[in-house]
Amino acid sequence: MRGHRLLAAAVLALAAVAARAGDDARLRAVDPAELTYTYAVGRFASEYTPPAPGSYTLPPIATVTDHPLLDADGRPTTLFALTQGRLAVVAFVYTTCIEATGCPLSLGVLHRLDRTIAGDRELARRVALVTISFDPERDTPARMAVMRSFHAPASDWRFATTRSEAELAPLLADFDQPVAKLRFADGVWSGLFRHVLKVFLLDGQKRVRNVYSVGLLDATLVLNDLRTLLLESARAAELH
Amino acid sequence: MARRVSFSLMVGAALAALLSGAIPARADETCMSPYMPKITGQEDYVYVWTLGIEGVGDGSDKLVTIGANPADAARYGKVISSVSVAGRHEAHHAGFGDDRRHLWAGGLDDSKIWVFDVAPDPARPKLVRTVDSFVKDSDGVVGPHTFFALPGRMLITGLSNAKDHGGKTALVEYNNDGKFIQTLWLPDPAAYGYDARVQPRLNRMLTSSFTGWNNYMTDLRKVIADAEAMKHFGNTVVVWDFHARKAIQTLEVPGAPLEIRWALQPRHNYAFTTAALKSKIWLIEQQDDGTFKASDVADIANPMDVPLPVDISLSADDRFLFVDTFMDGTCRVYDVSDPHQPKLVQTEKIGSQVNMVSETWDGKRVYFTSSLLANWDKTGKDNEQFLKGYGWDGKQLTALFAVDFLKEKLGRPHIMHFGQERFYKNQIYAGEAGPLAAAR
Repeated sequence: MRGHRLLAAAVLALAAVAARAGDDARLRAVDPAELTYTYAVGRFASEYTPPAPGSYTLPPIATVTDHPLLDADGRPTTLFALTQGRLAVVAFVYTTCIEATGCPLSLGVLHRLDRTIAGDRELARRVALVTISFDPERDTPARMAVMRSFHAPASDWRFATTRSEAELAPLLADFDQPVAKLRFADGVWSGLFRHVLKVFLLDGQKRVRNVYSVGLLDATLVLNDLRTLLLESARAAELH
Repeated sequence: MARRVSFSLMVGAALAALLSGAIPARADETCMSPYMPKITGQEDYVYVWTLGIEGVGDGSDKLVTIGANPADAARYGKVISSVSVAGRHEAHHAGFGDDRRHLWAGGLDDSKIWVFDVAPDPARPKLVRTVDSFVKDSDGVVGPHTFFALPGRMLITGLSNAKDHGGKTALVEYNNDGKFIQTLWLPDPAAYGYDARVQPRLNRMLTSSFTGWNNYMTDLRKVIADAEAMKHFGNTVVVWDFHARKAIQTLEVPGAPLEIRWALQPRHNYAFTTAALKSKIWLIEQQDDGTFKASDVADIANPMDVPLPVDISLSADDRFLFVDTFMDGTCRVYDVSDPHQPKLVQTEKIGSQVNMVSETWDGKRVYFTSSLLANWDKTGKDNEQFLKGYGWDGKQLTALFAVDFLKEKLGRPHIMHFGQERFYKNQIYAGEAGPLAAAR
């Protein structure tokens, strides 16, 4: 019981820190259960060995189009300019997220991917990692640059944002990544977003080949998927 | 700035570690896909996917919205809206997509699928898409049953096939835009299907097995009297490597295992199902070597009476299993704290017949509906058709409200899902008091 109280106090204190645009006092009064969004109960660390690369297929789920972005140095770019026709792991986050199974998990997994990819010549040549903020109001290029320096990418891991919510909306819609500002009953934004964690695996033809969420976002599993797609393209090349 | 953002990152990491101890959620249904957001607090609405009855109202299948928040007295236990889909299609199961906005609902007869958008006005869902190419898309799967949200996708189980309308069937995946992705046929000799549930923590999916179109579209009395027809029911649960979508183990669970409910708490590596024809509770449990074992752990009533266990619901703390038996219209509540030894703790007569049961995540309310299949429901005065809400205090069920779906000229109520105003208005609030009033 004491543990739960401590946990609740910690959650609310941290939530208040995150809610710079919101009302700290009101956020402190929110039940921590309100701030967890999914059915995930407890730790969602995987308890399995993912299937071996090439032992399964990843049928295309959807095709995405190009979208304008701002890179972490404030320069205009686009999604496809960052991925350059390579395999890509594309994640949507906001930097002040406090959802345990949300953005912190996403960033942590991409951090692990980055280190493994950097140590594998084939993966390093053929894979891009892209983290895009869905909070353009607060996640400026400067903040994304700080995020980049915090993670110190060893592979081609790009951090990007957008100019505005208007520019962001078509990108989120294309990826089917629902995001909504959590508001108090009077309409004031709490500073938090409701969002289902999604990380997307793109192939070289701009097709979504997997979507990772709680329980599926595991670095080893994503690496096996990347290697599965590399094997697939190698087999296709042999046939031609 | 650098210091502030770094602090945010550390905040995130610290919180992730803290939350790994699990904060209990307080409401919504249990037993839903773990890949979708949940509603918290009191549900405002129960959405009921309802079979049409010729001569009752417009006679069509429809999605009915019932008021379920006692703070809204004027609409509590009342029909708020209904959306007809024109015609009778054997409306059966439904499920939200991963955004919890779009409710997919299926018809077992002609295999049509309807997608309702509940977000713009949660009291009045709107039909936004119809998929009438399920059989063609899937290369011959018939009878879309379970709708289970996956990230970016909807996993749909079939019950039958277009070739012989028997029980051989498949799993079918669509993306959230309603575009077909793939069909995965169940493996012989465990080719029948019914429910599918994923435990992402274990990368395992379980599928159960019922019967094909030939049986579920035939009068139940005729099926029971036909020895040949009775041979065509499933007797297996299949264990899948979920990520690879490969069947890796077949478990013998005789007598049509239906609904599957994974335990919800960490380290509870097991699931329950019930065998409809044998009237038993089965425990599907992971062993130390990673394989699964199926054990029948309890009889439900007297199996010789064929009480026909149908839907089940597991409480969020994995303590109580609610088991509906269709023939005697009764809900039996088992204490499954020890999953190997369920203990019957409560028996409640709900009506002349009862099928679906949905418990709220906070464990305080339980909802029931009456209809099984158009041709399997009872007839005459025993053909009660209702949604009933009950309170549950851990010891007994107490009636809260009832909606007579015949008197309301709606039809046969089947699966239930919950809705809430403030979820779709993206609101959070402090405490329980006054949220509904504030939301309006």
